[in-house]
Amino acid sequence: MSMSYDRAITVFSPDGHLFQVEYAQEAVKKGSTAVGVRGKNVVVLGVEKKTVAKLQDDRTVRKICALDDNVFMAFAGLTADARIVVNRARVECQSHRLTVEDPVTVEYITRFISSIKQRYTQSSGRRPFGISSLIVGFDFDGTPHLYQTDPSGTYHAWKANAIGRSAKTVREFLEKNYKEEHMESDTDTIKLAIRALLEVVQSGGKNIELAIMKRDESMKILVQEEIEEYVTAIEKEKEEAEKQKKKT
Amino acid sequence: MATFFGEVLSVYSRAVEEDDDDLDDENEDERIHREIEEKREVHIVWCPEVAQSLEDSGSNTLQCSDLIIAVGTNAAGFLSAYVLNTESWDAVGHVSLWNERSRGSSRQSIAPLPGEPACLFYRHRDNPAVLVCQSTCYIAEDQLFQWTEKVLGCLQKRGLSVMVLSDSPVAEYKTPDYLYGSAVPFLRSLKSSASKGQALCPALEQPNILTGLPAAVLSHCQVHQIPAVLYQCYTDVISPDSITMETYKPALLCLSKLVKLEPCLSADVLRKFAIITEAQSNLYT
Repeated sequence: MSMSYDRAITVFSPDGHLFQVEYAQEAVKKGSTAVGVRGKNVVVLGVEKKTVAKLQDDRTVRKICALDDNVFMAFAGLTADARIVVNRARVECQSHRLTVEDPVTVEYITRFISSIKQRYTQSSGRRPFGISSLIVGFDFDGTPHLYQTDPSGTYHAWKANAIGRSAKTVREFLEKNYKEEHMESDTDTIKLAIRALLEVVQSGGKNIELAIMKRDESMKILVQEEIEEYVTAIEKEKEEAEKQKKKT
Repeated sequence: MATFFGEVLSVYSRAVEEDDDDLDDENEDERIHREIEEKREVHIVWCPEVAQSLEDSGSNTLQCSDLIIAVGTNAAGFLSAYVLNTESWDAVGHVSLWNERSRGSSRQSIAPLPGEPACLFYRHRDNPAVLVCQSTCYIAEDQLFQWTEKVLGCLQKRGLSVMVLSDSPVAEYKTPDYLYGSAVPFLRSLKSSASKGQALCPALEQPNILTGLPAAVLSHCQVHQIPAVLYQCYTDVISPDSITMETYKPALLCLSKLVKLEPCLSADVLRKFAIITEAQSNLYT
């Protein structure tokens, strides 16, 4: 039944579906997991690192990209589509600075990216972008933000979210374990992101890449040793929690 | 023929009356049909021992208690990794056929090279009544009946039991509910009515159907009342993939009753059979 309505992007099916957009969301699920957490003073993006081919330079396989000094994003889905979106967003950030003499707000650049994506769902001869993105950063008034966009061009603000392959599992974990009071501490915010990723990433900390941004600082990508420190701390806490459970 | 002005014209008949030409044409058509039929014929090439056993049995059939057929690269990879990885299996034959997608007949008597799409038979050394067939080449619709008749015709029907493992893209699975990513890949089963015993996974729901070689084999078994069970794995990956291969693991329960299997499998062995194609790994991040 759906076959004749899913070829052209600009055609609705009788029950109101835009199948190409929905299929684009399936393409997102083929990308590896990315998780974002918004703390009070820090914003965190964690991604599952892809295994690269032996001769491939893994610096060129980046899932986390800085858009400006105060905003960065992670994506899941088609690599090439993401490159186009990131490039356009970066240009827009600088254009905004030149025109308005202020850095973009996180919401502004998210709305810009979403508008591009929506435009591609409404013109014929084009297909939707096959990526979802998590955009984090601080506005110039110091408020932290986390937004998620998807191929249809919608965007929403989140306290914590995940996209990509096992997004559902990670989101459920975040819903269970997100505590407002923990978000005051930078360490706890970072630990929540790492714990969420460890739920779905195989072979632990060495397949995780993490980027954080503290208020009035630029984006920092954690080195492997720092991630291992957090992972060790998390495993210790887990063991102690198990011991406590056994005692009671 | 009468014209408007009342004159009568004699008309030449347009029917061709030269019988010789007709005959030639028919012969040529027949010749072409015959050539195409010969070209598309399905040949089974057995190794000398099996060919000898076939001759020695009066009915040109082999004694076989269990036939396991794997259709598709993931099913074949699963058998290679979990069953055929011990030294006790001998390659005993292959099927040679030609169609637009499988051009095998240029080397009919030579066995296909490893890695090439092919249809291979293996027999267990300690239990020669167990036969495994890995089919990774495309068999055209007009050749399916021939394939099934020739292969299953070589085996004695009495005591025969068939298991088919087959791959299918999940895009062809019809269901009213939305399939979450974690559910894929998954197994569904179908049995012939002669098959007693529980299948190891839910039955294939309507309106899903089987096509191709698995359908031909199962239909043959149903008609000839051979107990047969089929496990269809729906997966969203095009190339051979270790997670899809692991989905067939429930079938190991039946297989371990027949032959000794390796108890545990290293990841390296699995990775050998799973190909991560370059395009796939760089397309999505």
